[in-house]
Amino acid sequence: MTNSIDEIKYADCIFVIGSNTTLAHPLVATRIFQARDNGARLIVADPRKIQLASFADLYVRQRLGTDVALINGMMHVILKNGWHDEAFIGERTENFEELKKVVEKYTPEKSSEVTGISPEDITRMAEYYAKAPRSTILYAMGITQHTTGVDNVKSLANLSMLTGNVGKESTGVNPLRGQNNVQGACDMGGLPNVYPGYQAVNAVDIRTKFEKAWKVRLSDKPGLTLTDLFPAILEGKVKALVVMGENPLVSDPDSHHVEKALRALEFLAVIDIFMTPTAEIAHVVLPAASFAEKDGTFTNTERRVQRIRKAIDPPGEARQDWVIIQEISNRVGYQMNYSSPEEIQNEIASLTPSYGGITYDRLGGEGLCWPCPDKEHPGTKFLHKDRFARGRGLFHGIEYIPPAESPDDDYPFWLTTGRVFVHYHTGTMTRNSPSLDQEMREGYLEVNPADASAIGLKDGDKAKIASRRGEIISRIFITERVDKGTVFMSFHFLEARANVLTNPALDPIAKIPEYKVCAVRVEKWE
Amino acid sequence: MKETIIEKVKDLFEDSRIEAFLGLKEENGQIGPYLFTDPKDLEGFSLGDKEWPGDKRYPLSKILIALAQKYPENRFGILVRGCDERALNELFKWNQLNEEHVVMVGFPCPQELAEACECPKPYPESLVVGEKVKGIKSKKVEVILNMGMEGRLKYWTERFSRCIKCYGCRNVCPVCFCNECELANDDLIPSGEIPPENPIFHLVRAAHMAGRCIDCGLCEEACPVGIPLRTLYKKVADIVDSEFGYRPGYQKDQKSPFNILGERPED
Repeated sequence: MTNSIDEIKYADCIFVIGSNTTLAHPLVATRIFQARDNGARLIVADPRKIQLASFADLYVRQRLGTDVALINGMMHVILKNGWHDEAFIGERTENFEELKKVVEKYTPEKSSEVTGISPEDITRMAEYYAKAPRSTILYAMGITQHTTGVDNVKSLANLSMLTGNVGKESTGVNPLRGQNNVQGACDMGGLPNVYPGYQAVNAVDIRTKFEKAWKVRLSDKPGLTLTDLFPAILEGKVKALVVMGENPLVSDPDSHHVEKALRALEFLAVIDIFMTPTAEIAHVVLPAASFAEKDGTFTNTERRVQRIRKAIDPPGEARQDWVIIQEISNRVGYQMNYSSPEEIQNEIASLTPSYGGITYDRLGGEGLCWPCPDKEHPGTKFLHKDRFARGRGLFHGIEYIPPAESPDDDYPFWLTTGRVFVHYHTGTMTRNSPSLDQEMREGYLEVNPADASAIGLKDGDKAKIASRRGEIISRIFITERVDKGTVFMSFHFLEARANVLTNPALDPIAKIPEYKVCAVRVEKWE
Repeated sequence: MKETIIEKVKDLFEDSRIEAFLGLKEENGQIGPYLFTDPKDLEGFSLGDKEWPGDKRYPLSKILIALAQKYPENRFGILVRGCDERALNELFKWNQLNEEHVVMVGFPCPQELAEACECPKPYPESLVVGEKVKGIKSKKVEVILNMGMEGRLKYWTERFSRCIKCYGCRNVCPVCFCNECELANDDLIPSGEIPPENPIFHLVRAAHMAGRCIDCGLCEEACPVGIPLRTLYKKVADIVDSEFGYRPGYQKDQKSPFNILGERPED
């Protein structure tokens, strides 16, 4: 997030797009409700009529994968009416002309044709967002899990810069991160192209710095992304794999292909707190410690680094993650000799400028938000205050590109995927919880009443759902939450694995798969 | 105030009246429940005031139920405000705790907190320190009643529709102790959806608060979506009071009207 969670409650306009906030980020939703009680306007754009939609001043239902067209349409209206922030554009940004040229074509009418949202609603969205003193954007995987994921995010950045809604309190472009520590994992270089703190692996001075600290020769080439990994295994380029706290057999798109790749490995090790389907096919399973059984830090969605403290010992042979990594490293030939997480934190601070001032003695209470470059620095509440990381904010002119797969005669429905409120990801943890399991024991396919009756399905019936990648059987749930022609399914359940169906088509830059859009056929199953 | 309480607790340990004391402790910049088994640990003892009075309250009586089940022979001291004492009084009556094994160490709430809570009795009988603070009559119930029937329905429907079924209200409640919870009864309230079916979910809980809710307000504090549960249950308490003449937690010897089994019906 560019801004912090608590700032949301002082925003004048909140634009939620591609985020089922009450369900997936309830404590962010808390601030949305507080802001609304204070008189803020709420705009919700989502292909599903989510819980938050009924609290919105304006709810719009865009067709799957049409976000760029929607945001370009809003920017067209803003420019046409002169609601943009000329001073901000002039002082803080560049490449504005390119944006203008592209956006000029996206009249509300053209945008409406693509998105299915009326030109009047697009105009109102633009007005609400641009005219409020402080507007903030909240988004989640509904924006990123597309072949145009990067384009979608850049479009939101365009919108915020166009109106000067970034680098100020209660504004910003705020991705809501899903896992408690996914921000921390990325910050620590859990990406194939960067060292901790997003320092590029192919920059000579950075590489030299890490080589010196770690006393080892390092590669100057980015590694493979997760989605590039499975084809690489099948091409024989990767022979062994260590999977840590992931369950790709259920979580990654086109499950049958993933399973084929994992089984082709010469060696697969899985580190997890439960025996996941991926762990079942591993050669070695290393039991890990849960959050209550380890010391360290988590970095949350607002870049806040917080201490966690061990309350109980890990059971049986389970060990803390850093111990497991150290032991593996020592056995494969690189000696590590850390004695505690604090020692590792000190190394992080010494090598990562944005974490430079973050040490355990400062992490009591509420923790610290990075960037926190030195010991005296109080941490950073919101980013880009007087300048962007690259200097001036760069506008991109972005054209709308349709999703990789659209419905046709053989696969006439749009399928989109996401979460339900009681389960998390592949259910590794939540389906092991008796109370959450009782709340929902099996998955279902959300179907619009008109579609259900056309197929001859009643609520609770079983249906066969097929895509070009495979087919699954699931019960259906009839609801107006999804539009006619669109079905929705969660990806938590191994027995009805939505990711058997999903399209592994990738965003060309981020390599994120298009979980949110594919084409399927739905039939009655008996 | 804190020092006096610490001295009192030390005395309880010294006189062997308790084996452990359940209170709050500040550690690493956080305040949380803590079971003191050694008087030496009392250095970090806290009354639960971090940024404003009483902003760190916990359902200590509920934690005590779990401890008492695990250590049935032991005697516990416990830090209480007015509401905590009322909760304990109810739990004694419902046989969830043995009064003989519990020693209350009471302190009054500051006027500021009493007003924020609209608490009619912001102090316990078991005061070991401080003065009895003046009780406050609720105005929030009145505000909602003045909305009129239609306005009230609209207001509550909007608030209930925010519910994400986190069960925070139930889980934090010091007088929620049923082994089987009707809120999780699939026949009564269909599972698997948010918001849960309304208004049934919240009215079932409100009905179960009748004769039980001791007006501590922890439910409302825990609610992540801002449902004014405390105001709802204050009204429930008013109805029970006017119909049965009973206010939960106030009298030790008077049983809840819902606690009394009547004559066995004839077959």
